[in-house]
Amino acid sequence: MKSSLFALTALAMTAGVAQAEMMPDAVTEPVTITFYNYNLSSAGNGADATRKMIAEFEALNPNIKVKGVPVAPQDLATRIQADIVAGQPVDLSQMTFAALGFATENLGAQPLEDIVPAAELSAHFTGMVPNGLELGRLGGKTYGLAYTFSTPVLFYNADLFKKAGLDPNTPPTTWAELKEMGLQIKEKTDALPLATGIYGPTALDWLMQGVIRSNGGEVINADRTEMRFASPESIEAVTMLRDLAQTGIMKNLSITAQMEGVAAGNTAMYLQTSAIQGYLLKGAKDNFELRAAAMPAFGDKAVAPSNSGSALSLHATDPKRQRAAWELMKFLTSKRGYTIITSEIGYLPLRPEIVDDPEYLGEWVKANPLIRPNLAQLEHLVPYVPLPGPNYLQIGVSMMDAMEMATFGDNDDVKGILTETQERVQRLLPPQG
Amino acid sequence: MTTETTNTPLHHSRRFGPGGWETGLGHALMILASLICVFPIYWMIVTSLRPENAIFSTRLWPDAASLDNYAYALKAVPITQMLVNTFIVSIAVTVIQIFTGILAAYGFSRWKFRGSAILFAAVALTWLVPLQVVMIPNYLLVARMGMIDTLGALILPHFASAFAIMLLAQSMRSFPTEVIEAAHMDGANHAHILWHVIVPNLRGTIASLAILIFITTWNEYFWPLLLTRSPENSVIQIGLQMFITSEGTQWGPLMAASTMASLPILLVYLVLQRQVIASFMKSGLR
Repeated sequence: MKSSLFALTALAMTAGVAQAEMMPDAVTEPVTITFYNYNLSSAGNGADATRKMIAEFEALNPNIKVKGVPVAPQDLATRIQADIVAGQPVDLSQMTFAALGFATENLGAQPLEDIVPAAELSAHFTGMVPNGLELGRLGGKTYGLAYTFSTPVLFYNADLFKKAGLDPNTPPTTWAELKEMGLQIKEKTDALPLATGIYGPTALDWLMQGVIRSNGGEVINADRTEMRFASPESIEAVTMLRDLAQTGIMKNLSITAQMEGVAAGNTAMYLQTSAIQGYLLKGAKDNFELRAAAMPAFGDKAVAPSNSGSALSLHATDPKRQRAAWELMKFLTSKRGYTIITSEIGYLPLRPEIVDDPEYLGEWVKANPLIRPNLAQLEHLVPYVPLPGPNYLQIGVSMMDAMEMATFGDNDDVKGILTETQERVQRLLPPQG
Repeated sequence: MTTETTNTPLHHSRRFGPGGWETGLGHALMILASLICVFPIYWMIVTSLRPENAIFSTRLWPDAASLDNYAYALKAVPITQMLVNTFIVSIAVTVIQIFTGILAAYGFSRWKFRGSAILFAAVALTWLVPLQVVMIPNYLLVARMGMIDTLGALILPHFASAFAIMLLAQSMRSFPTEVIEAAHMDGANHAHILWHVIVPNLRGTIASLAILIFITTWNEYFWPLLLTRSPENSVIQIGLQMFITSEGTQWGPLMAASTMASLPILLVYLVLQRQVIASFMKSGLR
């Protein structure tokens, strides 16, 4: 479906871009914009908080009506393509970081530097975490403004730590410590020592990028022209994960089964996005004590966690709609916006000044200390590098299938598996020159 | 001979009569099979009554049963509106497909015309085309008609069904021609023959077809997913999916919503149960 829409989408986008003009200073007459949002596609806190933000924005901007359209993250690219072809306006979307490259090249995402006055853009960026802003930049321009955002956290069950004779106040800080503790947990309890969100159909490579870069490697080079997941550092990282699998510390379970195992109190440690903290806390209530630590390091090397989450990408080509969409982007990423996003959805605030400000998140952070390890990791964050071109999903899936096989499969030749796959997927990258 | 004839019923009654061990075993197996069939439904209902922190409990009955998940599900997602929408769409699609199916089947079974076999084969071939293939062209058409996010657009592409036409044509072809000819001789026209002679005699087939179409439409997911823009204009399968996210599945509310969603289907089945079983046995449908 995606490929059949590709040429039509490109044509429709070209027509739209050709008509682009300068954005007006303000919205002076009524306009309705569409906001494709994946938090709206699920029941619960994310949808409630998003509706609340839209309502507050509309109250502040009476000329702008926002039509929030719920679209699941995996359907977003297809839906936008179909709507561009169908002549349905797509003004603003919540784009996963993995799909941002695709959105830039194929879905008409507009670079903010080209449509927003420089002084206004600079004023809005002031106070935002530089690493967070970097996430939405491709080729030196901002195609996505970091919106909902989280980093990998090592959740752990303090009760299972105590049962295994471990001190819950000293969680593992390195993978070697994690293995040692994992073996002790396996010996002393019935629990699974470690679950992760590294593998699985919805994970793609966001967490694996963080693991490999923490060992000095990379999945793809910075200018996204060369796959590098078969480098010695990457092979060493995957070999370490294979060792954890072979010693029974982790198992090849589905991503859902792992998440539910942790929530049910049957798993001791869980490396996963901080965004699921709310879900785990509900399972832990009155059953066990859930704690969180930073992602483990490889020896004394610096940890380099990647982010998960989404950016806001602006697709409108009509200047009035661009202004309306930009006003909404500004509100959603304002101090007020991040206060709602953090306290009601559970993502990280990209404006650190609000963390201890009693007017914004101050009281909430005091009551929810689990957010602290996640906040601390913001400083070490290395932006996720989206895989390039229209084949980005095939590249990601092929690579992660190979990683899974190298970790859990019968074949000990990790280097051989990764090298063969890297050569194969390199051909799926867009041609250079 | 006499002994044999008198022994046979006795032997038969020992094997199959009331109180025989074979009967007991048969009943035990059927009870076991019934329990296996009913248990997932029981577990769905029990899970819908559990609090969030006991959702993974394996106890057969929750320690503190409550209706909180139902209240949450109804508040978080417009389930009632979605159920009404799904019911309207399912009823409309069922009635329309049966209606168009009966007309087309009558044409194919009663009238011989040049190319009828090719036309019938062409209709049959459309059954082999998966929905995904025609989804985008249909979407573009519906968008141009300004029908996105409307219930009408959920019904429109399902006005005719190759499966319904084929099944009804097969049933009509096996209908005794003597009866139709007798009606002709009495002066009945085609419409009279179709609606007053043939259709009343195909009630079983139509009932089983209706329930199949209804259930298929009730469970449809991809087309409404592409087409709807707001939960209020969407259907229950989209509502159920809203409790399953990459940040965890809300099992309690999901099971509460699933319980509410399965009730209308259960009701339809209970009402049409006799017709459906009789028809499925006769036509060999599964």
